[in-house]
Amino acid sequence: MTATGLNPPARVLVTKIGLDGHDRGSRIVAAYLRDAGMEVIYTPPWQSIPAVVKLVLEEDVDVVGISSLATDHLIVPKLADALRTAGLGHVGLIVGGIVPDDECPALQQAGVSAIFGPGSPRDEIIAHVAALAAKVRDVKNAEFREIAQ
Amino acid sequence: MTFATQLAANVSADDILDRLTAGDAATLARCISLMETGGPAADLIHRRVCAKTGHAAVIGFTGAPGAGKSTLIDAYIAVLRAGGRTVAVAAVDPSSPLGGGAILGDRVRMRRHALDPDVFIRSVASRGHLGGLSESIHRVVDVMDAAGHDVIIVETVGTGQSEVEVAEIADICVVVNAPNMGDDVQAMKAGVLEIADILVVNKADLPLAQRATRQLRDMLKLRRNRQDVAILETVATKETGIDALGGAVDALLANRAGDKRKSRERRMRRLIAQAASRLMHERMRDLTDGRLDELAQKAATGEIGIAEAATQALSLIRP
Amino acid sequence: MTKQAVQLSLPGFEQAHGGWRTEYSRQIGADRAIKNRSGVEIKPLYTPRDWNGDGFLENLGFPGQYPYTRGIYPTMHRGCTWTQRQLIGLGTPEDYNKRVRTILDAGATAISLIPCNSVFRGNDCNEVDLPLLGTCGTVVNTADHMDRALDSVPLGNISTAMNDPSPFTLLAFLLAVAKRRGIPWTSITGTSNQSDYISHFIANHMFFRLSLPGARRVLLDHIEFCRTYVPGWNPVSVVGQHMQQAGATPVETMAFTISTALQYAQDCIDRGMDIDHVLRRFTFFFDISISFFEEVAKFRAGRRIWARLARERLGAKDPGSWRFKFHGQTSGVDLTVQQPMNNVARVAVQAMAGIMSGLQSLHTDAYDEAITTPTEETARIAVATQNILREEAHLCDVIDPLGGSYYVETLTDQMEEEMMALIGKVDDAGGMYKAAEAGLIQAMIGQSALAFQEKVETGEEKVIGVNCYQADNVAYAAPPTERPDVERMQQHVASFTAYKAERSQTDVRRALDALKRAANSERDNIYGRIVEAAEVGITHGEIVSLLREELGFGHPLVVV
Repeated sequence: MTATGLNPPARVLVTKIGLDGHDRGSRIVAAYLRDAGMEVIYTPPWQSIPAVVKLVLEEDVDVVGISSLATDHLIVPKLADALRTAGLGHVGLIVGGIVPDDECPALQQAGVSAIFGPGSPRDEIIAHVAALAAKVRDVKNAEFREIAQ
Repeated sequence: MTFATQLAANVSADDILDRLTAGDAATLARCISLMETGGPAADLIHRRVCAKTGHAAVIGFTGAPGAGKSTLIDAYIAVLRAGGRTVAVAAVDPSSPLGGGAILGDRVRMRRHALDPDVFIRSVASRGHLGGLSESIHRVVDVMDAAGHDVIIVETVGTGQSEVEVAEIADICVVVNAPNMGDDVQAMKAGVLEIADILVVNKADLPLAQRATRQLRDMLKLRRNRQDVAILETVATKETGIDALGGAVDALLANRAGDKRKSRERRMRRLIAQAASRLMHERMRDLTDGRLDELAQKAATGEIGIAEAATQALSLIRP
Repeated sequence: MTKQAVQLSLPGFEQAHGGWRTEYSRQIGADRAIKNRSGVEIKPLYTPRDWNGDGFLENLGFPGQYPYTRGIYPTMHRGCTWTQRQLIGLGTPEDYNKRVRTILDAGATAISLIPCNSVFRGNDCNEVDLPLLGTCGTVVNTADHMDRALDSVPLGNISTAMNDPSPFTLLAFLLAVAKRRGIPWTSITGTSNQSDYISHFIANHMFFRLSLPGARRVLLDHIEFCRTYVPGWNPVSVVGQHMQQAGATPVETMAFTISTALQYAQDCIDRGMDIDHVLRRFTFFFDISISFFEEVAKFRAGRRIWARLARERLGAKDPGSWRFKFHGQTSGVDLTVQQPMNNVARVAVQAMAGIMSGLQSLHTDAYDEAITTPTEETARIAVATQNILREEAHLCDVIDPLGGSYYVETLTDQMEEEMMALIGKVDDAGGMYKAAEAGLIQAMIGQSALAFQEKVETGEEKVIGVNCYQADNVAYAAPPTERPDVERMQQHVASFTAYKAERSQTDVRRALDALKRAANSERDNIYGRIVEAAEVGITHGEIVSLLREELGFGHPLVVV
């Protein structure tokens, strides 16, 4: 049983799409999640959206965490669409970084469940990711419930 | 059809198997997760999958961090793809002993193949398994095999007993070294040379590469039956020596084509023994039979020896 | 180990000191050990027993005299104020031009250009999602774009900082424009602000475009080219900013930056360049954090260390080589999104630290820097801050005003010691290039970042509005986020696409082939070919992708 209670551990992708390359925050969050017992797939910046979709599929990711400075959050809705089209709409999606207030609604509409700005407490981030992963797991586990019969 | 709708349609194991063997990546991914989770559904699927294995060549890559394994694999996959073969990769990373979490960063080094639908890459955390691989890696490889991939690559860091485990699961074992890694190759762990089918000296453009190659050759000379082990020099970042590596792997595979079923059965024996031992351990632990206490008292005073006590205890737990 | 200073004879000192200490202990209540960001313990009081001016000439001396601890020039800001160099960049070349003209009219003596993130990534504007264009910098992909961006800017008379990493296409475009305008390259002055590829590999991945060996080659070619053809240009700016922003402590930042400078200097020596020629044009670029005294000590120690290493280790003979010239930018990492107007105070404190450290040029952040690129109003306040410090607080009247402070001198010495130890560690690893390649520096910086974050989490490190005084947080009535005009950007992209099609394809082919040949040759100067390509109308994206193809794509090392 892991610290966050999920067994097997939650699988979280921490990545950056778009152009920005600052990863001080995403590296710290990845370390937090690992220390909380989660399996974190950590990528360098500038992942293309198709590459992220393929990764989420192959790695059976539970939650996608996008780290965004500058304006990369503007293409998160595009990522959300691509995930849905690939049948991965049930995967959790959160954003960390700096998003101007007036641009948050667009993200929420695209299915982003939380936007963690700078100064977000570590425990809050961990709790949200854990809860989100648990929800996603419920959906996925339902798939195989019937088979064993 | 998404899995949610599959559920609604009351999908059976047959459907899952069909989709898996047809090469559906989403199904493969979910089956791998299932294998890692374990449980009755996993057992059921795995048993069905067993009959579909045997096609893929399984190649293990091991070596200390810094040897350039992932870059080498990235280049090697390109060679495989150029030859028209499909590939699946299981990249194993250790889980943290403290929280059980892990950072899985190997797959992103295989950049060239980030968008290739015929290269399936999965990061596997060891999840407390002490052997260096993961508890369920055999099942994971079986599922990848059943999905129809021509080549399965298992990548692991050379820690713990991972070399032995890789040797069991892989048809070919490639051990990757690099000349700049502090200690000489002589500091390489015992056991590695015994299991290596191919030794690679990567970063061969560095000044100490020749020396590393020589040292490896000398060490091999001291071991029986190891004289034919190939030592190849590569520069993964420049794609030098990769074709030769591919050729060496293929040559060995051709030689061993007949052994695959036998080696699988050998592996099964060990897995069975392991599972049996675990079972015995559990049953012993759960024993509330007073006769075990009796045995313990006798062994404590020396009335019987421990070996004798164990033999007697075995009869207590047989169903 | 601090060297034993000669003690002053101070009759009655011990008694008085003891008396103070007793009273202090009695009244202080709960005292605790305080350490600055670099981990140096800070006492409540410093006295002549900590520092008394012993070794004054050897360790301090006078401004403009080796080892330059008190300043690299005799007059410093009293003679010539620091250069106000505000970094700007946004939108289309026309948008940039409008802003730069306003700045020049307001009295700025130097300008800089920040290109769009798409440019940093080596893309042309037609290769990137439209919403991402021009949001954080100007979209300049060709010499024509540069011409429009610098319309009416007197290139021969003004110093320009190009925030442009290897392979330095922006300077190439600038030189092409100068040639068109009949301005000789010998009168072009400025700096390649982001030439420090090692710092990009370590800590600012967005700027890292070519492989490590590729970037190394291009930098050396760039240095040689500028030496011959653009002698007034500083081709090397060694950057401490990225590492500090990534979480390196001030001590680590200075140590690693100096180690990087040593690496570049050695590379130049290995190439057969004259070390004095090269070092004279080395500049440095640092973040200034809000840890006020620590920053002052950091820069004073850095100045002293550099002077000594340049002279004794690198063998430079020209005093110009020993002078540690640096540009400082107030650190955006200390600014907060919560209660953003507080950032005006923060920036003022950071700027003060930089000025009192004796920097050569200064950029002050706008208070909304943490949220967006500055508006005209917030940019105005940033400049006014500098003016206030200079004119009203009279910070320029005295050179090295904190010199002689028992605290500041002790701290300078202590931080110097730590820095030298780290430089030694990097030496042991084979130099900065190898250490970065192996991920050693990244690991150290990552540790420091985590440690600092831990302090913020526990509240040990207080950040107003973030982990204390949050009750004062009000919904910040941010002006609607300023984004480049979409239609104008669309047009910019469209005209660019048309331009590419209308160029002489033979000229393009010839220039690209020449660049390719140079990249594959051992001795041909790649940068010379880049400039030629720029003159002929090759685009930024074409140059970068060709060099990535030939010299290797820059993949940063990921270390968690």
